Amino acid sequence: MELSLNHLKRSMEREGYVSEDDLAVTVFLALTLKKPLLVEGAPGVGKTEIAKVLGRVFRTEVIRLQCYEGLDENKALYEWNYQRQLLKIQILKDQCSQKDIEKDLFDEEYLLERPLLKAIRSSKRVVLLIDEVDKVDEPFEAFLFELLSDFQVSIPELGTLTAREIPIVVLTSNGDRELSDGLKRRCVYLYIDYPDIEKEAKILQMKVPEAGERLNREIAAAVGYIRANLDLRKQPSIAESLDWARALVALHADALTADNMARTVNLLLKNRDDRMQVLDGRVLQDILRHASGAGAEEGGRPACRCRNHGH
Amino acid sequence: MRQGEIAGIVAEVESPGRDTIQYNITRFVQILRHLGVRVSLAETVDAVTALSRIDLLDKNQVRGALRGCLAKSRKEAGIFDQAFNLFFTTPEKKSERRRLHREALAERERSISRAEQDLMEVVEEWQKDLPERIAFTDQQLETFSLLPESEKERMKEILERMRANPVNNPGDLINRVLQSSLNYWRYYMLKNASEKGGPGPELEASFTGDDDLDEVIRGVAAQFYHHPGDRILYRDMETLDDADIPRMTSLINHLSSQLALGISRRYRRSTRAAAVDIRRTVRRNIKYGGVPIDLRYRARRRKKPKFLLICDVSASMARYARFVLQFIYGLNSALGGVESFIFSENLERATDYFSRNRTFSRIMTEMINESREWGKSTNLHASLETFLRLYGSTLSPETVLFIVSDARTIAPEAAAGLLREIRLKCGDVIWLNTLPRRDWENKAPVGAFSGIVEMYECNTLSQLERALRRYVLKKI
Repeated sequence: MELSLNHLKRSMEREGYVSEDDLAVTVFLALTLKKPLLVEGAPGVGKTEIAKVLGRVFRTEVIRLQCYEGLDENKALYEWNYQRQLLKIQILKDQCSQKDIEKDLFDEEYLLERPLLKAIRSSKRVVLLIDEVDKVDEPFEAFLFELLSDFQVSIPELGTLTAREIPIVVLTSNGDRELSDGLKRRCVYLYIDYPDIEKEAKILQMKVPEAGERLNREIAAAVGYIRANLDLRKQPSIAESLDWARALVALHADALTADNMARTVNLLLKNRDDRMQVLDGRVLQDILRHASGAGAEEGGRPACRCRNHGH
Repeated sequence: MRQGEIAGIVAEVESPGRDTIQYNITRFVQILRHLGVRVSLAETVDAVTALSRIDLLDKNQVRGALRGCLAKSRKEAGIFDQAFNLFFTTPEKKSERRRLHREALAERERSISRAEQDLMEVVEEWQKDLPERIAFTDQQLETFSLLPESEKERMKEILERMRANPVNNPGDLINRVLQSSLNYWRYYMLKNASEKGGPGPELEASFTGDDDLDEVIRGVAAQFYHHPGDRILYRDMETLDDADIPRMTSLINHLSSQLALGISRRYRRSTRAAAVDIRRTVRRNIKYGGVPIDLRYRARRRKKPKFLLICDVSASMARYARFVLQFIYGLNSALGGVESFIFSENLERATDYFSRNRTFSRIMTEMINESREWGKSTNLHASLETFLRLYGSTLSPETVLFIVSDARTIAPEAAAGLLREIRLKCGDVIWLNTLPRRDWENKAPVGAFSGIVEMYECNTLSQLERALRRYVLKKI
């Protein structure tokens, strides 16, 4: 597929990912320079979604390596199927010579592919998502960036395996730990911040159209106000805004009110202190005033378009 | 058409005698490096290659492409954006900026020279009594020039009146009065400016010697910490006032909970193979006739570090201590088990204050009311002696001891001896020094301690967080 920036941007939007110029340019460069894309940002801003969307855009498989503390090469790259090897030894111990058994045992049929090896050996260009890379320890990170720079791996019993098609690699990080310079140097870097009101309203409209433009705009304005003005333990993510919008639609709300906010705010904020802060009388009034102001800019278009209540 | 335009621009820019794209990118990279952004040669090559893949006429695309290749963290992206806006601008804007800068410099020189003239008129007569001529620093002269006219006149009048006083060596007296008065005014004006949100902390940067590049570096360094959170994070904690405390509290809570998350997380070395648990493997595989099909591994025992804090709460440290203790309170609420001590003339255990499950402000009130050490002078030797005598047995190789102090103490040599003894008994000792690093050389006690333990500058919240994060996580 001939890749151009505009085409990529349009394709991502078609697949439900709203991307501004900066984001699209960075993703485009990672694809054309064939370099891994390192995406950082707060939880829930759409980092992992980039990989999934790229999978859909290029109609290819997304192979995911979910990182966690203690992840090692065996679980990320490959493992020998020990049980199967052992059974083979038991079966053949009286029939073959020791040399033949040993030769057979390290055949590809006993190799358990883990995500990294699967991505390298794939015959098609796949998307390799290495999610939350900041959770692994430093030795594993070093192993990873060696693999990502050459796209080849050595298995002592089989030799060096080189990628048939260089995968599209997306690494994500929440910034819990500073990543090594080596890893960062090999990647094209993208930082995703919380969206502004315009972008969030667009995302909401794309994902929850049944809420209507006005309500979506009010939700985006309220969430934007909360993020900018309140000191919360955890800022609401885009995913949580979407859940909140869906909850309001389920309650047939056509505008934000103190009542429906009190009933649904637990979908937006998962911490008790945060909820108390937002529901405090004066703060709540400020949020609602801000939201209704933004909603009114839409010119009072019909809000809820669900089929369940009579607008 | 579009391609043709791009080719035209590239040809023009790359024509002999004009700057090339590569040359400009190299200069831009130089600016970033001087602003503390680490850019490798490979990344510079990537940036130039990236420019060949995008529309050079679109500034957003150029910025996005360069940022993706050259800036690799949120902070670096912020520095990049400001540097980009200042560097890639029209020649008219650049020359306008240069003109304004030149005018500001000339104005400053004029006012300094006027101030020097004014002051010299008053002190001229005493010059002859002095072995050396009175010399004012540029800072003092600048302070005088910034004084309101009424203050300038008042200062001159005082000096005139002193002329009538027949004292020994009047020139020396005048010199000292004048210099200390100017130093006071400078301090007062800086404090005032800081309270009114004036010049805040500046990004650490070094200059290249090239005027064009230095102008951009200067601009970015001055504007970088414009966000209220950044201003608090990077400002000396002693200069924060009461109005900053709510914001500071929320930042501290956020940072300490982030750090606690890192500590409670299990980081296991992946290069070491796990050991097979023979007993459990044999038991598990009896059903397979003893053939070890299902292997069982020994659970790796995790050695948790034990944190111990000794915090200086003497008069010179009281303000820092408040914020450091708040950070520890945050860590303690998330992790528990942080042993804390406070000291000035002697040492007191503070862990119990934190374990009373109260709000931080209540804890602080109790601590200040009940403690006999708050706000006194510093005797680290006596404090460490008490610590070793009463709590020395709690030290073990798993202990990481943090000392927070500006190292201004009596009997530093004796204290250093005890510190050496403590160092041998625990895993690590980290000294977080609130004194700016540039002052360490002039203060003798700092040298006595820094040779024994790792010492880090720690007078801003950012430095405190970085030091704790780096050394706490390293120990896990």
